[in-house]
Amino acid sequence: MNAARRAAIVRAIVAKDLREFSRDRLWMVLTPLMLVFYVGILWLLPSTVDESIDVGVYARGLGGPVGEALASDAISAEQGIDVVLFDDAEALAAAVIEGTEVEVDGQKRSVAVGIAFPDDLAATLAAGAPATVTVYVDAAVPAEIQTAMTAFVREATYGLAGIGLPVSQAEAELIVVGEDRVGAQISPQERMTPLIAVMVLLVESMALAGLVAVEIQSRTAKAVVASPASVGDLLSAKGLTGTLLAFSQAGLVLLLVGAFGYEPLLLVVALLIGSIMTAGFGMLAGSAGRDFMTTIFISMVFIIPMAVPAVAALFPGAASGWVQLLPTYGFIETIVGVTAYGQGWSDSVGYLLMSSVWCVAIFGAGWFILRRRVEAL
Amino acid sequence: MTTTTAAEAAARTSGDGPAVSAEDLRFSYGDIEAVKGISFDIAAGEIFGFLGPNGAGKTTTIKMLTGQLQPKSGAVRIMGRDAGRDDPQTQARIGVCFEEKNLYDAMSGEENLRFFAALYGAEGVDTGALLGRVGLADRASDRVGSYSKGMRQRLMVARSILHQPMVLFLDEPTDGLDPVSSVAIRGIIREEAERGAAVLLTTHDMWEADELSHRVAFINEGQLYAIDTPENLKLQHGRRSVKVRRRDGAGVNEESYALDDPAVGEQLRAAVESDGLMTIHTEESTLENIFVEMTGRTLEA
Repeated sequence: MNAARRAAIVRAIVAKDLREFSRDRLWMVLTPLMLVFYVGILWLLPSTVDESIDVGVYARGLGGPVGEALASDAISAEQGIDVVLFDDAEALAAAVIEGTEVEVDGQKRSVAVGIAFPDDLAATLAAGAPATVTVYVDAAVPAEIQTAMTAFVREATYGLAGIGLPVSQAEAELIVVGEDRVGAQISPQERMTPLIAVMVLLVESMALAGLVAVEIQSRTAKAVVASPASVGDLLSAKGLTGTLLAFSQAGLVLLLVGAFGYEPLLLVVALLIGSIMTAGFGMLAGSAGRDFMTTIFISMVFIIPMAVPAVAALFPGAASGWVQLLPTYGFIETIVGVTAYGQGWSDSVGYLLMSSVWCVAIFGAGWFILRRRVEAL
Repeated sequence: MTTTTAAEAAARTSGDGPAVSAEDLRFSYGDIEAVKGISFDIAAGEIFGFLGPNGAGKTTTIKMLTGQLQPKSGAVRIMGRDAGRDDPQTQARIGVCFEEKNLYDAMSGEENLRFFAALYGAEGVDTGALLGRVGLADRASDRVGSYSKGMRQRLMVARSILHQPMVLFLDEPTDGLDPVSSVAIRGIIREEAERGAAVLLTTHDMWEADELSHRVAFINEGQLYAIDTPENLKLQHGRRSVKVRRRDGAGVNEESYALDDPAVGEQLRAAVESDGLMTIHTEESTLENIFVEMTGRTLEA
């Protein structure tokens, strides 16, 4: 049999699978709902990060309104800082430490950083004596900002008094919330994109698993392989169907949220590898499923751990070593790299290779198990 | 009834050779030997009844003949080619009607046929006419999931013949069907044989086997007990006698006369001329009786 005839057979089986998929009410309801839901979530999430930080300043010690204005101007000169002036040092401390909101021009504001210049600062400086400025920092403020603040106060007071002042921090507790990207933070939309892409892929593996399970349980696979279609043709068609379903829907989601704006080919390759991998999962789950419920259950066993790297991408830097061993890690890191960090081929080639190896292993396992199931019918 | 002598059946296997040739086929499931070295040929245009109870080895034999199972030993040739799994040239020449109704329920009858026509490279086949032939023209666009058992079976038969196969394997094609569906399917089987297809038919229904088959084979516990025309089997194993029923006063009197008895002519003449004659029948044995006599088992076992 020539290649054209083989291709025609595989094409006929894929067309039949897609027709069956389109007749399945569950998937016909779930698929558009899922797409609308995921795209809706991404559209609703902010695509930018508000990098400005409210800094409370108590500067009466600088000598009244002129001094306050000088301090305020000096502090605000740093990009992304909004100064909130306080009349009371204790109120400033409470606002930072206890999170008490203050009303400024009719708006409720909360300050994460407070700078309290001592009341006798002007006199102390005039006497040439040492003085201390206290910086209050909320526990959630990254260490880099804390450091920046202390350095900044030194610079500001040097500008005012001609000398730098020692600065102490109150109740500073360092919490690292991922990779520091001051000035280029990842937006919530960017963080969520890989998770949604991988969820679309993995859910589509359930759709393929359902198609495979029906083919096995109704023994229609037996009729197919009794025709000129070989077992290999049937398995190729299943792999192609699963890849098409997963790739088209994940690609559509990424297209709708505008993720293809940078390195589209790299993203397509990563999605393709992920889609083939999920087709392998679908073949495995479909071969093992005895009925609809067991097929869904087995699919979930694959889906939950495979989604972990995407969840870890929501919190950069939080991925443990074992997460990096999961098959989906490489292709998710590629998607994260492209959509969030603007990485290119040279940054992603390692992840792509890792994903490709897993892809071959999982698709091969799915092929082998499904082949045995079909031959045993 | 189809009547074929052993000589005619044998004649079919001459010329270009048999359409199906099974030679010393053996197969085991683990330690259980399901088929123990069976051999037979089926000629083009011949309907070959393959009879045996459940577990006798019929389906295993069909699986080996259709390439679904690889025999442990022995050889299968279909239209002169060694049969085996994934041999598209052989698969293209055979049609299989499975015992289980393995159809795509979410697709219509016509879509099912079109899909398999594409697999066989027979996209030009008139599926509408084929559905009409099996009495499903008016349900062609309905989903198979809504079909009755008889309709599904008729669609299975239509699927097995859509590419005009040279060899047709029919596994219990009329099992559990209503009389109308059974008659329709039997008609199609005859038409396929007349077209020149070799037909291997497994059935529990001895009357059907007798009605359709040019030759029958008895299989039990993986072994063949007999291969011959139904007529020959009945002649060899049946009783050669005539039963005469006469009204005798208020009751009915039955008498049996052996055909080999030299006096049978006189006895029959006397019976015909006597008062109260009701019926005269030859007492042929049925295939079922012969099967039981040869194997010690009934077909329903």
